[in-house]
Amino acid sequence: MHLTQKLELFPDHRVTQMLFKEVKNAAELKKSAMEGKINGALINPTMLVDPFQVLVAANKAVHLEKIEKMKTRTLYSEIIFNLSPTNNISEAFKRFGISDGDDSVLIVMVDSKDESQVVSDIAARVEGRQVPVEEISSLSDHAKIKKLYKVTPQEEKCGSLLDAVVCRMATKDVM
Amino acid sequence: MARESNMAVPEFLRQAELLKQGAEARVYRAEFLGTPTIVKERFPKRYRHPALDEKLTHRRTVQEVRAILRCRRAGISAPVVYFVDYTCHCIFLEDIVGSSTVRDYIASAQQSDSCKELKLQRLAERVGQVLAKMHDEDVIHGDLTTSNMLLRPSPEGGESDLVLIDFGLSYISALPEDKGVDLYVLEKAFLSTHPNTEELFEKLLKSYTASSKKSSAVIKKLDEVRLRGRKRSMVG
Ligand SMILES: Nc1ncnc2c1ncn2[C@@H]1O[C@H](COP(=O)(O)O)[C@@H](O)[C@H]1O
Repeated sequence: MHLTQKLELFPDHRVTQMLFKEVKNAAELKKSAMEGKINGALINPTMLVDPFQVLVAANKAVHLEKIEKMKTRTLYSEIIFNLSPTNNISEAFKRFGISDGDDSVLIVMVDSKDESQVVSDIAARVEGRQVPVEEISSLSDHAKIKKLYKVTPQEEKCGSLLDAVVCRMATKDVM
Repeated sequence: MARESNMAVPEFLRQAELLKQGAEARVYRAEFLGTPTIVKERFPKRYRHPALDEKLTHRRTVQEVRAILRCRRAGISAPVVYFVDYTCHCIFLEDIVGSSTVRDYIASAQQSDSCKELKLQRLAERVGQVLAKMHDEDVIHGDLTTSNMLLRPSPEGGESDLVLIDFGLSYISALPEDKGVDLYVLEKAFLSTHPNTEELFEKLLKSYTASSKKSSAVIKKLDEVRLRGRKRSMVG
């Protein structure tokens, strides 16, 4: 049910995404992540259009880690930061990180080896129902996403919402 | 450490398919994040001072992604930017899968005879409209040719989408002169690539004029630039 994609630029890095609905222990998960007990980024899926958006953020995070140019302290916080259209770090966490009362969560891990162990560890920690990652589109809040990324109506005529979002993520450092 | 890691993209490109070796950049096709992708790599120019070269190359890369985003925001189709590596000056772009260049489209339409006049006129009108919109956003493309325009078939089988590519020489300017020169570059390229298309290009300009809010000053400049070009060629 999880989705794993090798990063072509960094062949020893694999990105795994897991999606959970009806989550009861978001606050506890968030605490565990902050204490480093969960090795992953906990993301609010309503701000995501597609798993590809997460791959774009993860690839950029690994790249910036390699060249020692991350804006945040860890690879996982950098993934969350990269999802945001702005360079404001606390806003990025507020919008894209999970909040205590959230009932759905996307967990992203970056690993060098077989992910099955991590996947079952995570699954055991989440009190919720794991669903296929592709279901993320049914959770996304398009109105909120368009507003945050400032997507114009004209722009939607020449491409998808995902296109608009990805373009802004990829270019935000020079805008 | 940083030095070694900069090799990620060059390593990756060694496996990629080289599409074009230009004077400033190489263009590759590869799969990236599981998606068909075009990679444009600017390489150092040996004759320039390394520090200056680095600065210019960086600026070009930045200008290219800015122009793409500006066009897309205005509803002008241009490839999605997936990733930019400013250490090796590489831009990872959406591969416009299944597209053909306007150049090839015109060339093959000129060969065949079935309703070619109508098809070509319709295309010239669309190009004029898109360029008008682009100039109204103050984006100067800098290298307009019929090879830098792609036609992407629409999924519903309707009219295909006109996609502008290769913003490597683009910049932002509101000056009618810059827009006029942009059109002049296209006119030169157009008429030399496609013989006997003077009328077709006139059609394109007519459509540009009708679509752009600021076209009269631009066309006036175009006329001036044409005259200058002619004078220059007369003196040799
Ligand atoms: N985004 C793209 N999608 C599909 N084909 C492309 C794209 N960018 C460039 N090409 C092809 O590669 C050639 C050279 O690219 P360029 O140097 O950007 O003009 C073009 O004439 C196209 O045939």
